[in-house]
Amino acid sequence: MNPFVTVWDFFGRLYHRLASPREFYKISRFTTPVFGLLFLLLTAAGTYLGLFVAPADYQQGDSFRIIYVHVPSAWLSLFIYMVMATAGAIGLIWRMKMAYVVVICSAPIGAAFTALALITGSLWGAPIWGTWWEWDARLTSELILLFLYLGAMALYYAFDDRKTGERATAVLAVVGVVIVPIIHYSVEWWSSLHQGATVFRAGGPAMPSSMLTPLLLMALGFTFFYGYCLFLRAQNMVLHNERNSRWVKDLINELE
Amino acid sequence: MSAHEISAADSHGHCLAANNLACQRGERWLFEGLNLTVSSGTCLHVIGANGSGKTSLLRMLCGISRIDRGDITWQQKNIAGNDDYFSGLAYLGHKDGLKNEFTAAENLEFYQRLNFENDPAKVDEILAEMGILACADLPTFQLSFGQRRRLALARLLLVPRPLWVLDEPFTGIDQAGRNLIERLCVEHLAAGGILILTNHQSLRSGPLKPFLNELEL
Amino acid sequence: MTNTFMLYAMREWQLLFRNSSTLAQPLCFFVIIALLFPLSLPAENALLQRIGGGVIWVSAVLATLLSLESMFKPDYHDGALEQWLIQPRSLTLAVVAKVFSQWSATGLILTLFAPVLCLTFRIPVEQIWVLFVGLLLGTPSLTLIGAIGAALTVTLHRGGVLLAIIILPLYIPILIFGAGMVTQSAQGADITGQIYALAAILTLALTLAPFAIVGALRATID
Repeated sequence: MNPFVTVWDFFGRLYHRLASPREFYKISRFTTPVFGLLFLLLTAAGTYLGLFVAPADYQQGDSFRIIYVHVPSAWLSLFIYMVMATAGAIGLIWRMKMAYVVVICSAPIGAAFTALALITGSLWGAPIWGTWWEWDARLTSELILLFLYLGAMALYYAFDDRKTGERATAVLAVVGVVIVPIIHYSVEWWSSLHQGATVFRAGGPAMPSSMLTPLLLMALGFTFFYGYCLFLRAQNMVLHNERNSRWVKDLINELE
Repeated sequence: MSAHEISAADSHGHCLAANNLACQRGERWLFEGLNLTVSSGTCLHVIGANGSGKTSLLRMLCGISRIDRGDITWQQKNIAGNDDYFSGLAYLGHKDGLKNEFTAAENLEFYQRLNFENDPAKVDEILAEMGILACADLPTFQLSFGQRRRLALARLLLVPRPLWVLDEPFTGIDQAGRNLIERLCVEHLAAGGILILTNHQSLRSGPLKPFLNELEL
Repeated sequence: MTNTFMLYAMREWQLLFRNSSTLAQPLCFFVIIALLFPLSLPAENALLQRIGGGVIWVSAVLATLLSLESMFKPDYHDGALEQWLIQPRSLTLAVVAKVFSQWSATGLILTLFAPVLCLTFRIPVEQIWVLFVGLLLGTPSLTLIGAIGAALTVTLHRGGVLLAIIILPLYIPILIFGAGMVTQSAQGADITGQIYALAAILTLALTLAPFAIVGALRATID
């Protein structure tokens, strides 16, 4: 048998299973706890290594350790926006119901991670820059990203009809993802003009592995946390959207 | 909900079909599993209580509203992005699509140009036929509701189109106007056109009777 | 193709001239916003001269935003838009024509008037030229991107604030390059990079935004 066809077939079947709310619900009953467990294990290990094993920074002392929350949050804030835009495009092109659920459920999680990245960035800035807010390129981009998330959420909730809101939000996410790199580039350029405090650049490739390992563990753990939250929210949304359908009613009867 | 089936004997000419159509508004399914076939020379009267999805069905057939499930075909080809279908379709909804800033004649001329024609004399002819030639050069906001409705209906006559979809065409129109529209519809049907309309009263006693099919939602 | 474009564009221009207040409003708004700044800041000519370019750009962005609200709504409410959806004509071209005429009634007029405003901020002539070129390249992108938001909110009764929330973050790159250009040239630096950036954004917006606008209209009109 041609292995390529088998792999393709597998993805085809997975796609069709995920496309149906009922199948998605079944799969997510299994994946949600797995993601939750992986999140707990990875972040526990990352926290331990980051707080107790990694050496203190020779310039910043212990205050650098906030990196283990700040950087993974910042990574995820971008990653989740990409997921939203990809899911939005899939929903618009193939009219896949579940893709819209991913778009809508991802937005608040992404906004929360963006806010976390901003707050930790500001907390970090206080001892290092001596100010709570610095017009630094990364922080400014992050702030704009927060507004993109808030805009997407506001748009969805503005519509009375859920389906119209889903499609409008998907369009906005796709438009946003085209503009995000341009925003990033323009803000970089703008901040290079800005002659204020010297811009602090975190880590870089020179980071020793005792510092880097916990960072990667935390990043992976946070990603699983996103997956966990996403599946949990999506489960709720699917049950709510399909509350009039047969299988949800059967499910409720089973519980009672 | 049961499946509706409407077929006409005439297999020649044009044919609009909907297969397993479903419409969801909010969390409610207005209709599900709707099948219909309408062919040349038939008038389909969509009947139903307020909120039963008559307007939604009409807007789906015109490709304006989203289709939640199922598909619609014209001459066995899906209507989405089908220019052949849209050049043969005339739709009149609750909103008349007229600009207040333009005169009656200008409004009609714009739609005429959209249909690849430019013939002011014909516009006057159509306005005369609809009984509103006197208002031709008045700004549309000065027209009465009935006059506006007649002007919107005048669009149907700009170019011959095989499919007319009319949502409540008789609302706000006097008896003479109603007779006029019914006469135009009969001419359209007799020439092999298709008419899909909603109306609160039964059409069984009117001049459309010989062509009539009913669909209850 | 040109026929479809001209047909829709002529209609838009006719409508604009019948409703001459829609032509005057964005310009008045633009000037008033720009004049609020000198009144609310310390009366120092040097300061005004330094911030003038940025202030004019912000005013142009806000004036464009204000005009977007009425871009699709009247056509949606009187049913003209749903007739456009079912014409055997390209909706994309119709939308491009609409954006073009909308821009000519707002962005272009603002750009032409901006030099007069520059004089009140005592901006030197060389920088007036820079600002003029920047606005000429930037305002079409503002209208194109804004039209996506206008299309997304066309069916909403109160879309004004929402439109601002979803569109303003997308305007940031144009604002940064446009206003940055003026500051840069005041310092005697080279500005070709920013001109290219604005031109690139305009090219991108011209090629992609019309499809996004059509997608947004089809997604929301039901």
